[in-house]
Amino acid sequence: MNVLEIRNLTKKFGDFIAVDNMNLSVREGEIFGFLGANGAGKSTTINMISSLLRITKGEIELLGRNIVKESKFAKMNIGIVPQDLAIYEEMSAYENVSFFAGLYGLRGSLLKERTVEALDFVGLGDKHKALPKSFSGGMKRRLNIACAIAHRPKLIIMDEPTVGIDPQSRNYILNSVRMLNRMGCSIIYTSHYMEEVEEICTRIAIVDHGKIIAEGTKEQLKSIITDTKEIWIGVKKEDALDLEALKRISGIISVRLEEQTIKIVSKAEINNLNWIIQQLIKDQVEISSVEEQAPNLETVFLTLTGRNLRD
Amino acid sequence: MNVLSIAIFEIKGHFRDKRTFVFMLAFPIVLILILGTALTNAFHNGISVGDMKLLYQNSASNPQLQTYWNGFANAIAGQGVELTPASPGTDGREAVKDNRYTAYAEIDDSGIRFYGSGRETIESNVIQGMLTAFADKYNLAAAAAKISPEAAQAIVVNAVAGGSFIRETSLDPDRKPGSIDYYAIAESTMIAFYACMSASNLIRAEVRRKTALRLAAAPVSKLEIFAGKVIGCTFTNFLCIVAVVLFSKYAFNANWGDHLGIVFLLLFTVVLLAVSFGLGLTYIFKGEAANSVMLIFVQIASLLGGAYFPIEDASGFFDRLTNLSPMRWANNALMNMIYNGDLKAAFPVIGLNAAIAAAFLAFVAVTLRKREAF
Repeated sequence: MNVLEIRNLTKKFGDFIAVDNMNLSVREGEIFGFLGANGAGKSTTINMISSLLRITKGEIELLGRNIVKESKFAKMNIGIVPQDLAIYEEMSAYENVSFFAGLYGLRGSLLKERTVEALDFVGLGDKHKALPKSFSGGMKRRLNIACAIAHRPKLIIMDEPTVGIDPQSRNYILNSVRMLNRMGCSIIYTSHYMEEVEEICTRIAIVDHGKIIAEGTKEQLKSIITDTKEIWIGVKKEDALDLEALKRISGIISVRLEEQTIKIVSKAEINNLNWIIQQLIKDQVEISSVEEQAPNLETVFLTLTGRNLRD
Repeated sequence: MNVLSIAIFEIKGHFRDKRTFVFMLAFPIVLILILGTALTNAFHNGISVGDMKLLYQNSASNPQLQTYWNGFANAIAGQGVELTPASPGTDGREAVKDNRYTAYAEIDDSGIRFYGSGRETIESNVIQGMLTAFADKYNLAAAAAKISPEAAQAIVVNAVAGGSFIRETSLDPDRKPGSIDYYAIAESTMIAFYACMSASNLIRAEVRRKTALRLAAAPVSKLEIFAGKVIGCTFTNFLCIVAVVLFSKYAFNANWGDHLGIVFLLLFTVVLLAVSFGLGLTYIFKGEAANSVMLIFVQIASLLGGAYFPIEDASGFFDRLTNLSPMRWANNALMNMIYNGDLKAAFPVIGLNAAIAAAFLAFVAVTLRKREAF
């Protein structure tokens, strides 16, 4: 059964089409990765699912019920973890969670129980009286999650929940996502960290220019790009490196430099490694390593959109 | 229920914010204290009269005049005038010029000559008045004596016994505000109107801290959120005003009259007007422009409303201008209530404030409904 069903969804801002006739479904019990570069239409779609933006055309169904016609039902069953921290700094962790949970109709002892449960779940049970301004970035992110789950939604939308936090907090959050999923929540997860998406998502959709350009499991997506390969060349001195010259070499799709590693995506059938090496020697670049990568989501994304996810 | 939850949360948030205490409580109390103390003289109802020293030279030979004079001298001495007979060779006028005496009088059979101090004009005028009254009574008694000596005696005795050479009268000084009284009212209405500044942040702060997104995603209508926030903001600001009024009443002895209930009702409508005005402006002007417009309006309205100094005897265009200030309406109504006992003065202002507030709130509610987000 599908938790979420999006059919022919379109959103226009004046003449600009942010989401263009999108079709998408999220199955019950899935952690669904929703990938797109900035401005691809990802946030607009999420905002329409959350009823924050009106739909120009098309429809969205949550658990088989239209979210416009049954807005209250939809809102009751969705939890949203926004990319930006959406908490009150001057209110305690408990007050934050309790306030938002109260808006979902929880009252009295049930409200207290669910508030404590949500805080315990994100590991802030012992900090319930503390003000968020005394929290680290990771703790604030966890509180941001607690505010979205106390009312036990069926679908949780997590928009970049791990931005700007330390690896320990990131691991905690990723484990929390898995645990929520095991508890029966379906999750829509967006991130700029491709390795996170690869690690936790069961299915992934890539959105570009307001349209879904690919959808499937990690393996299905990777199989799309069997016609490309990725070569990583470690370099020590890259001062004289001419990336444009590399891009002109036959078969090369994209070239980027990341922390002394040249990452080259090329057509698989063309053997152009010798030309690449020759160009680097010509540029007097000192090579430390050369390796061909197995295709990953990053490569898939780059190949399909022509852009890096962080662009 | 959601409206109540949002309102309570709003109130909690306000009272956790130090700025609320500084701006809504400390600031008006300090203003009342500073302006009320610094401008005390501008509101003083009476004039203090200093020592009155009369130097006199009595060279009259008429025994009747001597008797009358002695009676007069005793009477005015009892009222605080220090009489000193001039010793021979004393130049009384010089003594007054040197400010050693308030006035100098020469009494002889032909009448009284009076020289008053040019420096202590009030005191010298008081003595002159007493002497004029004495001369009138003496002339009357002298004229009566020619016809009936008993009547003349009665006139003199009554005049001296009653001490009525100067009759004290009052312009009901208790019914005019002192400086502390005035500024307690003026600063309270000004701060009540400053509620528009916190109201302008009601929705914008939610957008800024991104909680608007969470609120909008919750199963609560925009109108419920709006109503809860307006109630919370109005209540918080009103509580601060109540605290300021009570503090000024009991700590500074400011006069708030005998009808505190209606005073609070009027101030409540000022806060409600300010909150709705602040919200309205944020939906008329975009971004920071709303704050700038509001700050300018509040400053001008405070000035015209008499928050910094009393606006009295305004006429023509300036009078019409001052009447545009909501603080002016409120201040006038409060003054009329407290000092003229005119309770009816409050009701048109309460009605006007409530009507304008309703118009602004309706405008914001309609605008909010039309908007996709906040």
